[in-house]
Amino acid sequence: MAEQGVAIGAVLLMTLVTVATRFSGVWIMSFVAITPRIEAFLKYLAVSVLISIVVPATLNASPRIWLAVAAAAIVMATTRSALGAMLVGAALAAAVRNFTTL
Amino acid sequence: MLDAQSEAGQPLRPCFTLAGVRRGIIEILPVAAFLIPFGIAFGVAASAKGVGAEVSLLMSMTVYAGAAQFAVLDLWYAPLPLVTIALTVLAVNARHLLLGAALAPWLLQIPLGRRLAALLLLSDANFAYAMSARDRGEIDAGILFGSGIAMWVIWIAGTVVGAFAGALLGDLSRFGFDAVMVTYFAAIVVGQWKGRPDLVPWIAAAVVALVGSHLLPAGWHVIAGALAGGLVGAWRHG
Repeated sequence: MAEQGVAIGAVLLMTLVTVATRFSGVWIMSFVAITPRIEAFLKYLAVSVLISIVVPATLNASPRIWLAVAAAAIVMATTRSALGAMLVGAALAAAVRNFTTL
Repeated sequence: MLDAQSEAGQPLRPCFTLAGVRRGIIEILPVAAFLIPFGIAFGVAASAKGVGAEVSLLMSMTVYAGAAQFAVLDLWYAPLPLVTIALTVLAVNARHLLLGAALAPWLLQIPLGRRLAALLLLSDANFAYAMSARDRGEIDAGILFGSGIAMWVIWIAGTVVGAFAGALLGDLSRFGFDAVMVTYFAAIVVGQWKGRPDLVPWIAAAVVALVGSHLLPAGWHVIAGALAGGLVGAWRHG
């Protein structure tokens, strides 16, 4: 079926683009001398990617996600366990969803 | 098992070992388990859009990038707009470039073949895991590949369930699954806090990303925020 062939072609195209994005960051950096300034840039880049995912995803979501993220942040700050923080945050999100109207 | 420190207490050179791969698989598993509902959600959404189960399964196996896979579902109509699909995937996945760049000081010190293996299954979640492991002194880039494999297998398994049986499961947010990734990433961010000097770059990233999420096309706010944080950090502390 021609339609199926095009769909598989589209998936392969998506794969090529995605793999290229995964490989190219390190490849580009292989041409850049890692000076202290570049090192500071990469260090802050790393954490800033995650900040840029978390902050809008939290604030643009409902108050139950605000609560979940706040709880996770507190658990992480006190226990240093990212896994524990995640479990507490998700459990709180589930509890709020099931037992309140938030 | 190899330790990250030599006997003299000096950090060893970055490497990529089978022990590291195994460690990555095991350590990411508790997080990866929570990928199942997202895989299911993708399988369900894909079949709702009329994408065949075998096509959505192939997509999860080869593309393995949740946000991009969800994004193209809106573009999945006949005739398939291939250029738009490719550009959308590029836009949503361009943040991989930044993840890779951030890993460069580590990965450029290991041989090319192993470097590519470490990058092949890169995602936000195993990047977050590897970054916090690196912070604790991990030098074995095998953990990137191992954690990637574990998440990849689970993503595929979730897609299979969703594509074939998803309609039977109902709304998964009642279990709090929708809060899993954002709380995990938030915890990793909190764990990276080193004190006052971080404040200004972090605020720059947060503000630019938040504003960008309302103004920019889907996915670009992450790139804008990440670059803002990186540049402010380099400017103030480089």
